[in-house]
Amino acid sequence: MKLSYLKIVSLFIAALSSVHVTVAATTSEMLAERLASVVVVEFAIEHELDRTVNYTNGIVIDNDGTVILESSAISDRATPEQLVDFKIYRPGSPITQYASADYLGQDGYTTWHFVKVRPEGRGGLRPITDFAAADPAAVPAMGENLWGIGLRQKDEEFAPYYLSSKLSLFQRLPQLTGIALGSIAGRGCPIFNEAGEFVGVGASGFGQRMMIYSQRRRGEMSVLLNPDEAAGFRLAAEIFPAMGRIPDNPYGRPLPWFGIDGLDPVGPEVAEFLGLGSTTGLVISELMSGSPAEQGGLLPRDIIIALDGVPFPRLKPDTVVAAHLMREVLKREPGETMTLTVLRDKIELELPIALGDAPKTPKEADRNYFEELGITVRETVFSDVVARREDPANLVGVIAHFIKPSSPAGTAGLRVDDWVKEIDGVAVESYDQALELFAEAEASGRPEVVMLVSRGGETSVMRVKVDG
Amino acid sequence: MTRLILLLTGGILLATTSLAETSRGFKKLLDAVVRIDVREFAYEAGSKRFQSGVGSGVIVSDDGLILTNAHVVGLRAVDINVTLANLERVSAELVGWDHWTDLALLRLDQAELAEKGHDFAVARFGDSDDLAPGETVYAVGTPHGLTRTVTRGIISNPRRFFADSRGVKGYETGQFNTWLQTDAAINPGNSGGPLVTSDGRIVGINSRGYSGADNLGFAIPSSTARRVMAGLAADGAIQRSYIGIVPGALRDLEDFYDLELNTGMLINSVDPGSPAAEAGIRGGDILLKIDHSRVDGRFPEQLPPIKNRIAVSPVGTSLTLRIKRGDTTTDFDVTTEELVSRVGDESVVEVWGLSIREVSRPFARENQLPDDDGVLVIGVQRGFPAAVAGLSSGDVITKINGTPIASLNDVLAEAEHYQKSPDKVLLEARRKFRVSLYVLKP
Repeated sequence: MKLSYLKIVSLFIAALSSVHVTVAATTSEMLAERLASVVVVEFAIEHELDRTVNYTNGIVIDNDGTVILESSAISDRATPEQLVDFKIYRPGSPITQYASADYLGQDGYTTWHFVKVRPEGRGGLRPITDFAAADPAAVPAMGENLWGIGLRQKDEEFAPYYLSSKLSLFQRLPQLTGIALGSIAGRGCPIFNEAGEFVGVGASGFGQRMMIYSQRRRGEMSVLLNPDEAAGFRLAAEIFPAMGRIPDNPYGRPLPWFGIDGLDPVGPEVAEFLGLGSTTGLVISELMSGSPAEQGGLLPRDIIIALDGVPFPRLKPDTVVAAHLMREVLKREPGETMTLTVLRDKIELELPIALGDAPKTPKEADRNYFEELGITVRETVFSDVVARREDPANLVGVIAHFIKPSSPAGTAGLRVDDWVKEIDGVAVESYDQALELFAEAEASGRPEVVMLVSRGGETSVMRVKVDG
Repeated sequence: MTRLILLLTGGILLATTSLAETSRGFKKLLDAVVRIDVREFAYEAGSKRFQSGVGSGVIVSDDGLILTNAHVVGLRAVDINVTLANLERVSAELVGWDHWTDLALLRLDQAELAEKGHDFAVARFGDSDDLAPGETVYAVGTPHGLTRTVTRGIISNPRRFFADSRGVKGYETGQFNTWLQTDAAINPGNSGGPLVTSDGRIVGINSRGYSGADNLGFAIPSSTARRVMAGLAADGAIQRSYIGIVPGALRDLEDFYDLELNTGMLINSVDPGSPAAEAGIRGGDILLKIDHSRVDGRFPEQLPPIKNRIAVSPVGTSLTLRIKRGDTTTDFDVTTEELVSRVGDESVVEVWGLSIREVSRPFARENQLPDDDGVLVIGVQRGFPAAVAGLSSGDVITKINGTPIASLNDVLAEAEHYQKSPDKVLLEARRKFRVSLYVLKP
């Protein structure tokens, strides 16, 4: 591992030196100036047994030290309470110099995470808006030269480096996304045009398909992604208007709710068969019981063809259309009404749907770790029950969120996401009751806790032997 | 010194092998073992294809009945060729098939036998219940096509229980019997051949080995084989009862349930919508008695016989199950249903390049489908309309051109209509829980 890493570093230095020859001095000055909008965010996720330290790149968006991070920067499984010790490093500065920061939360619509640098650490930071184009809604042209900033790892003090490429393609995925010919910026780092105007944020690799030749499975197609640098980037034209969505709570509430499970875009052949012309539709697989969609009169297998009278655009690939609708929902507030046009048995219907307030998410669920048993259980929430194909009106039992390896719970065969329905023969009606039953079992000195556990629709009695 | 040891070793070998070598019963048994060459069709990848295989079998009656494995000769066998001990070939037909015990019964073509004047021996059964660990046994069969191979070993365990027995080609196997475990070499092709004692009596039908392991072979006990054979000879199939309980071993839980040792069986789970569920039985209940006779399911090895006890009741029987739940004991009356496999009937629509299978109740339950309507896609042929439209294995077709699909015949009827006047077809299918639409184009 170490050897290959060194090799990459030396290769990289070779590439960098050749770049230096062709780059004008002004670019280097521009890069140094714009680096004031780029930070590295370190944070820890506290787990039951250990903590993992993570690094991600962020962009400063205002003079109050607000920083945005891509949604993938923080694991979906981590709750806000588990996120601790936010530190801000400046690219190229000694790593002994860092500022503290606080986690603000995640916005439902953009899915960005927001972090705020504490006042004493804000000196020298500049918001990316300082480098906005005269027309912030402008998008770069195909073939235009663009450049971006990449950052090395911590052992190299997050040293900044220069990347450049040309814009190759625009897509709505459904976010307005640019794709460059090659790596154009570090993930979460800014991209500029030749004039130094901010044009986007590095999002991900382009997902080029590559052939991997291995001994075992010759020629199997795989997607290779560069975890450090991005060729795809979100365009500034969409980033600027959304910068005001700084959440005032970690869960990004209020979260609007629609309540459909499985939206499948119809392919071009089906769209033509249904006579949708140049527009497309989304097939509803299932409706969640008691949801706004159900109350609004939608039925499973309805085909949604328009939102507020506007037919769905033919976004490519087809799957983007479903994300487009969900984004349109998340843009709105609970209580707002949106009108869907659906095709049911070849008849068009207009159905106004009043968006609801999203039920509690797994992230928001209360949880507790029982050291002696080696299990973290959390409150059963709506989506847990829906995923297990049962009636979400009954939020009974608790969900196993973590099982300590080789612990009594682990040895008994319990697994993460098991649904504990009974503890010591008592049906668990609520999370609080489960806590009492576990605490009582731990305190009692009994040699075992017996649980009735549901997994994949089948139940099983599990005997957890407590260490004597 | 060296010479002495060698002699001695030779002497011991002679002593242990002489029993089978000189036994008249064993010689007769060898004359009853056959090689079976099968050609059968399969509805794979959207077309009807032929495949062939080799296995073993043993002649068990004067009128030419042959016992073999269900995974050697299946319901779709087209040609069955049996090679007798004298190396002559005779054709045979399938008499009965039971995947639950992995057994099939064939009969030699009587007319062909008479015409050619072939002779064969009939093997005799021993009692598998009397087997003890360490007892010498012999496997006879056709491993890797090597006709008339005898291997020797011991009974490693006379009552082996498989916790997960998902069977062969998706068919359930081994829920109603335990297995004989032996270290006699059993390789592919041994399947269906007999496991015998040194006097040549059948104590098991060799069925499977652990791949990647050494000397871990398994056979269906003759006590099971004889019973199933009788049923297959009479009816061609074994009808079993189902009530929908998933048993678990009670081991170490007696204290928790306040039970005496060796009393009762744990019910781990109850299939939704099954007779037991309808009657009100739940996961975590303890089954104490079936129709007033005690149940003892303390160890996993004891569970298959209990399941078998329920299975052998005639379909539609009302069983009284005494259930302990907490401190109360209650009798529940449960009327049995017919046991069906998760693998339903299959067919193919060649014009669409689509292999399909009936959605059975167990399949619907295991996959948490709302009902057993629809037809499962088990294969598509590249470049044909179904594959081009995007259908793939695992999809459940629920509608074709607006007509709800409940069975294979519904699909075949739509396909026939299409064949007469090929036109675009709108098809609705569910993949896991997601509903999608597809257009099949001529």
